[in-house]
Amino acid sequence: MTGFPKSVTRLLHAVLVLALVIFGGFPIYWMATTALSLNSELYNTGQVPWPQLGNLPAMLADLVQLPLMRWLVNTGIIAVGTTLLSLVLGALAGYALSRFRFHGKGPLGFLMFMTQVVPEALILVPLYAMFITLGLLNSLLGLVIANVGFSLPVAAFIIKGAIDAVPYEIEESAAVDGCPRISVLTMIVLPIIAPSLAAAAVISFFAGWNEYLFAATFLRDRELWPASVGLASFIGQYETPLSAVMGAALIFSLPAVVFFLLIQRKIVAGITAGAVKG
Amino acid sequence: MPDIQLNGVTKRFGNSTVIPRFDASIADGEFLVLLGPSGCGKSTLLRMIAGLTEITSGTLAFDGQEVNDWSPSRRGVAFVFQSYALYPHMTVRENIAFPLLMDAFRKWHHIPLVSSIARWNLMRRPDIAERTNQIAEQLELTPLMDRRPASLSGGQRQRVALARSLVRDPSLYLLDEPLSNLDAKLRTQMRSEISALHQRVRKTFIYVTHDQVEAMTMATNIIVMNHGEIQQVGTPDEIYARPANTFVARFVGAPPMNLLDVRRDGARLSLEAGTSWSHPGAFPAGGRLILGLRPERLKLLPEGQPGIPAQVALVERLGAEVILGCRPVSADGTSSGDLLRQDLIFVRVAGNPRVAPGAKVSLGYDADAAIWYSAETGQALPDPRPVSAMVEA
Amino acid sequence: MSDQALLERPAAVPAPTSRKGRGSQGLSRLLPYAFVILPAAYLLVFMFYPLGRQVYLSLTRTRLANPNRSQFIGFGNYERLFGNPEFYSVLKITLVYSTMAVVLGVAVGMIAALALNRPFPGRTLVRGILLFGWAVPNVAAALVWLWIFNERSGVLNTIVTGLGLERISWLTSTDMALPSILLVTVWQVAPFVMLVMLAALQSVPEEVKEAAVIDGADKLSVFRAVTLPHILPTLQLVSLLVMVWSIRRFDIIYLLTGGGPVGSTSTLIVKLRQVAFENHDLGMSSAYGVVGLMLALMVAAIHALFNIRRQRSNSR
Repeated sequence: MTGFPKSVTRLLHAVLVLALVIFGGFPIYWMATTALSLNSELYNTGQVPWPQLGNLPAMLADLVQLPLMRWLVNTGIIAVGTTLLSLVLGALAGYALSRFRFHGKGPLGFLMFMTQVVPEALILVPLYAMFITLGLLNSLLGLVIANVGFSLPVAAFIIKGAIDAVPYEIEESAAVDGCPRISVLTMIVLPIIAPSLAAAAVISFFAGWNEYLFAATFLRDRELWPASVGLASFIGQYETPLSAVMGAALIFSLPAVVFFLLIQRKIVAGITAGAVKG
Repeated sequence: MPDIQLNGVTKRFGNSTVIPRFDASIADGEFLVLLGPSGCGKSTLLRMIAGLTEITSGTLAFDGQEVNDWSPSRRGVAFVFQSYALYPHMTVRENIAFPLLMDAFRKWHHIPLVSSIARWNLMRRPDIAERTNQIAEQLELTPLMDRRPASLSGGQRQRVALARSLVRDPSLYLLDEPLSNLDAKLRTQMRSEISALHQRVRKTFIYVTHDQVEAMTMATNIIVMNHGEIQQVGTPDEIYARPANTFVARFVGAPPMNLLDVRRDGARLSLEAGTSWSHPGAFPAGGRLILGLRPERLKLLPEGQPGIPAQVALVERLGAEVILGCRPVSADGTSSGDLLRQDLIFVRVAGNPRVAPGAKVSLGYDADAAIWYSAETGQALPDPRPVSAMVEA
Repeated sequence: MSDQALLERPAAVPAPTSRKGRGSQGLSRLLPYAFVILPAAYLLVFMFYPLGRQVYLSLTRTRLANPNRSQFIGFGNYERLFGNPEFYSVLKITLVYSTMAVVLGVAVGMIAALALNRPFPGRTLVRGILLFGWAVPNVAAALVWLWIFNERSGVLNTIVTGLGLERISWLTSTDMALPSILLVTVWQVAPFVMLVMLAALQSVPEEVKEAAVIDGADKLSVFRAVTLPHILPTLQLVSLLVMVWSIRRFDIIYLLTGGGPVGSTSTLIVKLRQVAFENHDLGMSSAYGVVGLMLALMVAAIHALFNIRRQRSNSR
């Protein structure tokens, strides 16, 4: 950097970027490659290091044997449920933390911070016992409830930061117009902070989509398995062809990968607005 | 049509008292201006009248009914914010219609998802649409109806804010420095539009500003405030002609009134640094005096004529008139070190007289141009002229 | 309206209740609580009550089969825990894992951020690819990395043997298991660091950098004198997050090695699960969990203390 000619710097930079891309992108590439390989290649003759599209039909045929569709539907239900509940509760908490002064405001903020420190495994067993009593064990609703505990505070934090930036006079104007608080929130404030709501939604959605531990512990019925549990069941078993497993894993990863590819900028803006300052 | 009574209204924020005690009576249909410098409490007062800020103690009454605990919409007020506070995610049409929607909403309409449906329905109701269009037309906003505030100019946003306040036909209009964010030309134009609006709707307007030109041109009555206290209440003419204390004297009028710390010596007055002249009128009773003279009441006379001897230090040519800043000189024509520290005396002369800095002049004035203040309290002293002379003037 | 604004908005809170709540109207006083009651109650019931129970459980002897029947034994579990050499091994693994995760993850993330801070053709695509590690769900990541690490047929060993070396037991040898897991962790965590640090780098005011250049500073000095101080707080925050997340991490470690081989990758939380579901000792597993929680809290507290110290010296 300091004394090198520009061309050398540029070359080094290119090499660095290439190395990073290989490190970052290789696993996905390998997932695709493995999905489009023959079992014989994988275990005997040596894996072909590029995706062979010719194997696609065979892989799909194996894939269809798996209850992947049902798993993905379950995953989707959990993800959407987590998102909706996190947003609703997070919006209420975020607005209150931004606009009101009340007893317990400090403790509430602290508690919300604590949820990011608590390991999920730590509340696993008590939650399990509790869900037995409440009849929430072995249900997708129970999973949503368990997930929201962790994503609600993140959503609230993002929403609070966004509301802090909205001039209070707009709400006063609404009050003069005869608008009660709850509608100020739903008709005025929330639409204004829509981008941050989207960021909070994305975070909650993928938290629910990716979740494994609670799902693996709380669900009895295979019917209810989300994709995370279903795919994990392939670890260590050799019945299902690896190519199909990789194909399924790829499909499971696709929403997040595609989404992050397309919306990178906005995610950064939505999440780090508060973080960078403090 | 409320007439408004403020009795002993005070405002405290924690340990600091912003408004110690405010008593006022505002008649129906007035255009009242709360005038004062930044931080004097005028906006706080306005917000208390609106119901946006709580009144610490004292009562606010509309038509005799105490309204301290009433919500802003119940008070039937309209409030125009300095920043207009338009809803950025709504179109102009939706902004203007919003108060009408809120009126039409019933309690249960406010349930979150129900509210969206209710809103969609109500925007299509003919009476609401008609009223919205009518008001928009009055303020020449019709071509802008479907645009968002972000795409409007400052003046246009101002008019949307006014339209929104008009639409419910409130009985009280409260405006918080609405013209501060506009450029000078637009400000002049909007001033007359707001005055015209007042004439048209014939309701009470309470207007907050620090700009004394706005106050003088628009108000039927002015309350001048400083540090949360009333300095003077009166019409623009009263406030201009007879400022009640030195604060008001210097706050209203540009250039500000000249206030001279004088010593009386028989029929002569002198300034501390040595200038002295013969005063053409009577003197009030009392100890140390301050003589107030408006720049336009001083006459530019050649050196030697009766008046305050001075030397021109500053010339500002404004086209139709000239403003001169003059430094008083002592009897032998010199300006000693002390004299140089005196404030300039400002004189307004019509036209374009040939005066250059350094010219020695005499500033004359008539007896009735003098306004006296006590140097101890800053308060105006009673007019020393006999009653009959005042009636004549 | 500057002084005015200060008067009307006490402290940093833009809307104190004294504005909206009209003194005697009790109803508007309660409004904040109406907003907060649902989220607060939710957290208390589904997060803190279980947490409390778990802490209580750590003070009892409880069997997995009967989670609701406990025998209170005070600090007995902790005594056994601190007397057990296995615990110290687990603690060491946890500290090594989290610290290395921070060091390596932040280093790689920071390098990536620096590399991406200047425009070049295809930058958006590259940035997208670098995000994969963070985007891919844990289970899918585990599946593919298990295959990559596979001793007989995985691509890493194919390369290694191609170079003439012996096969490496990536996940099945006590030496290599933890480093292998660290590799995956860095792959997953560096993208987040990169995103946050990119935003921080781009928020460095251009004018200050230009002023430094005019004053004769070269690129390295500009970085040291202008950029680094500006991004340091963000860097610290990100490091804290990565550290705390690593102490808590369960999914990927469990899926890759289950805590083995021979416990060489058992961090506190992974051990927790083993003790609970294999040893059936709920009391002891809770004790492990509580220690993990305390560790994370301590790290956060140290970070907070540093922040307060730094703010104090800044305001001098």
